[in-house]
Amino acid sequence: MNGSEIIPFPRNRLDKADLDLASTLQAMVEKEIVEKRLELKEDHQGLLAPSFAKIMWEIGLQKMFWPEEHGGEGHNSPAAAYTVAAALEQIARADVGLAFLAAHSLALQASLTLDGQGGEEACAAFAPLFCSGDRPLVVSFILPAFAEEEGVPEWRGKGFQARAKKEGDAWRVSGKNIRPTCSGLDADLFGAWCAVEGEEPAFILIPGDTPGIARGKELKKTGLAASRNADLASLEAKVPGTNCAWRGDGGAFRLLSWYYLGLAATASGALLANYEIIREWGDNRVIKGKDHIFKDNPLTAALMGEVAKDTSVVRLLAYELASMLAEPDAFGGNGSQALYTAALMIAHQACASAEYVINRTMELMASAGYAKEWQLERYWRDVKAMQCHLGAYELAKHDFARWFYRTVTL
Amino acid sequence: MRDIDDFTRPLEYISPMDGLLGSIFREWVEKEVLPYRRQFDEDYRDHHLIHPPFKKLLGEYGLQRMIFPEDLGGWGMGRSNYMCVAAFRMFEEIARADSGMALAFGALFWPFLFIALEPHENRRLLEEFAPMFCETTEPVFAALCMTEPQGGSDIENVEIVKGTTIQTTAVRDGDEWVINGHKLWPSNTGGLAKLMAVVCTTNPGSDDPRDIAVIFVKDDMPGVTQGPPYEKAGMAADMNSDIWFENVRVPLWYRAIGPGDDAKYFGEVMATGNMGIIAWISGAMMNIYERLTDYVNRKRYRGKPLKEDDGVAGLLADFAANIENIRIVGYQCARMCDRHDLYGPLWHPGLVAKMRAQRYLAMDRFIDVTGRVMNLMEAYGTDRDWDVEKHWRDLKILQLVEGSKQLCQIEVARWFYECETL
Repeated sequence: MNGSEIIPFPRNRLDKADLDLASTLQAMVEKEIVEKRLELKEDHQGLLAPSFAKIMWEIGLQKMFWPEEHGGEGHNSPAAAYTVAAALEQIARADVGLAFLAAHSLALQASLTLDGQGGEEACAAFAPLFCSGDRPLVVSFILPAFAEEEGVPEWRGKGFQARAKKEGDAWRVSGKNIRPTCSGLDADLFGAWCAVEGEEPAFILIPGDTPGIARGKELKKTGLAASRNADLASLEAKVPGTNCAWRGDGGAFRLLSWYYLGLAATASGALLANYEIIREWGDNRVIKGKDHIFKDNPLTAALMGEVAKDTSVVRLLAYELASMLAEPDAFGGNGSQALYTAALMIAHQACASAEYVINRTMELMASAGYAKEWQLERYWRDVKAMQCHLGAYELAKHDFARWFYRTVTL
Repeated sequence: MRDIDDFTRPLEYISPMDGLLGSIFREWVEKEVLPYRRQFDEDYRDHHLIHPPFKKLLGEYGLQRMIFPEDLGGWGMGRSNYMCVAAFRMFEEIARADSGMALAFGALFWPFLFIALEPHENRRLLEEFAPMFCETTEPVFAALCMTEPQGGSDIENVEIVKGTTIQTTAVRDGDEWVINGHKLWPSNTGGLAKLMAVVCTTNPGSDDPRDIAVIFVKDDMPGVTQGPPYEKAGMAADMNSDIWFENVRVPLWYRAIGPGDDAKYFGEVMATGNMGIIAWISGAMMNIYERLTDYVNRKRYRGKPLKEDDGVAGLLADFAANIENIRIVGYQCARMCDRHDLYGPLWHPGLVAKMRAQRYLAMDRFIDVTGRVMNLMEAYGTDRDWDVEKHWRDLKILQLVEGSKQLCQIEVARWFYECETL
């Protein structure tokens, strides 16, 4: 029995299409990724890029939200949150980095197309990129970060990495030494949350082939090999006015809430894989001589129990967040600070739990825990890298305080 | 401006060689290791970049000689009462740059703990092996082969398993031992080791500690095969592989000490190994402190340097407090390993349990607080260029060598609560 079946989740809230999609993805990643992993390891060109193409393009996740009249599948009601969770945890079971990339695309689609939220102009402008091309589209975000210079405009304490200025019907977006959330080397579309002088911030979509994007060399990093990240040494891009998807905090809260759902579901998927690895280990490992099976030792069994407990809690939390996004009016409304805060809390809790649980599992497996051959260490690196991209927990706590205690100066 | 030397060390009992060793290692790290370490991960198989600094340290500076007696060309550290305190300083300095190198360096001496320490010096074996290490300027590595395919750290769990799970056999045949078996994971293998100490049983399945034998084997003896290096999450400078012994014949006197004593003095490897791990944690944290300080000075939050935010400062304080604590405790552990007159013999299960206790506690603290630091650094926490993630990967591996955390816990509980069946 695999982790997806034994670790509890609210199956009753998912419709048949969601469950079928999860099954399809599970079979696909087993064949295309898991079976090839020992040979191809983290090979981007040989394994990860082709797998991303299959997931996003052939199975069709990159068309999922777009209206049918724009070539998409029209699955853009809030209930699509369950679909996102079910899909991403199956992808993450095989590769956290691929799920991380998919989470970007799905969050952007949701923020642009969700019932009553997406503008017709944005759909018309960007649906063809997602639905009519001949390849998967890699989406990356440019979000506020710690600045190194004084005087940088801030959003919730951090500096905007990009600034936008209206030039007639167009937007000019500029910045330097920008660290995108993923795939700086490969991204086909950047979504940049930009400061606009004297006005509300703007979320502007910048196709990757726009002149004026200077990409740096690929960064060496802890994990998430599917995301070949690079800094943008400079950004000086001019895009049409329709590339502004929204203005103001509500849109950012909406995008980020769905993005955090993606990260929570990805953490859940990593934990399902972790559970499967330690389950096999516990069944087969003999310690203290003959007939002493690992899973029957009280100390190791207790830790394995904790692994299963935390895995279950994270999975339930991720689906609970999906439930909140599926019924946003019960939780403050789509794009509300309340929902954004809840999503941020759950994403942090899921990532922290995943880090903790995989750490403990590595302890149980000793050298097999850190040998690449056993696969576990990859989930550990990937989950940690994803947690770092989620943002500093010390500062997320300020976000929680802003909402729950109505802090004035934070 | 504060730096790593502002963290406390117990000046009352640092070694008489501390100043000299500190300056040699600090300069070596700055010139020979730090400029190249970010490329070590990809060098795990060949050691093209890792070998040159080892050549300088072990061969040219002669550190590989230090445990051997002076009359055999060594530095006589094995006979001193400050070997571990001196080692702590060296380990810290190396681990500041690369804890894989620190482990490879430390593990080089593990086989010699059986034969170079009072009161169980094996003069004949020291005379046999000293020239390999003392009469060359090339680095020479040694390995202690413990772990086997089934049971993992069971081998290290001597007190309860008593060698019953050892499957590598040593059979006496006239004036020779004939060794057969398969070991996994020894540090300094993968083709590096020229000399190995192999943990064997002379009576498979026996629970008599006298049947546990530690026998020296040279790499060029017929029947010894080292496999290719494993690919791991980190620690590229610590090369590990499978190693097979097929009808390997060695003289009878290549046994480290003798029946009963081989098993007893195995505890010395455990005690010093766990003490060393604390030193590697401390050294790595020093470097993280340096990189973190740079980060929080450079980056800004709400209009101020990141370090000036009260909430962030809480985490920075936690990190510094943990270094202070781990370093002082680590030095105390080294002192306990050195001063048998005060703290009992180095092999004693009580001392081993205390070393394990401090090691696993220090590692838990490292994992927790370093994970939080990486998170504070956001995407830069995962960057190779910021170095923190390297230490995070490397030290997770160090948590799991010489027995898992659970083995540490069992040994600690067994000693302090006098458990009989754990």
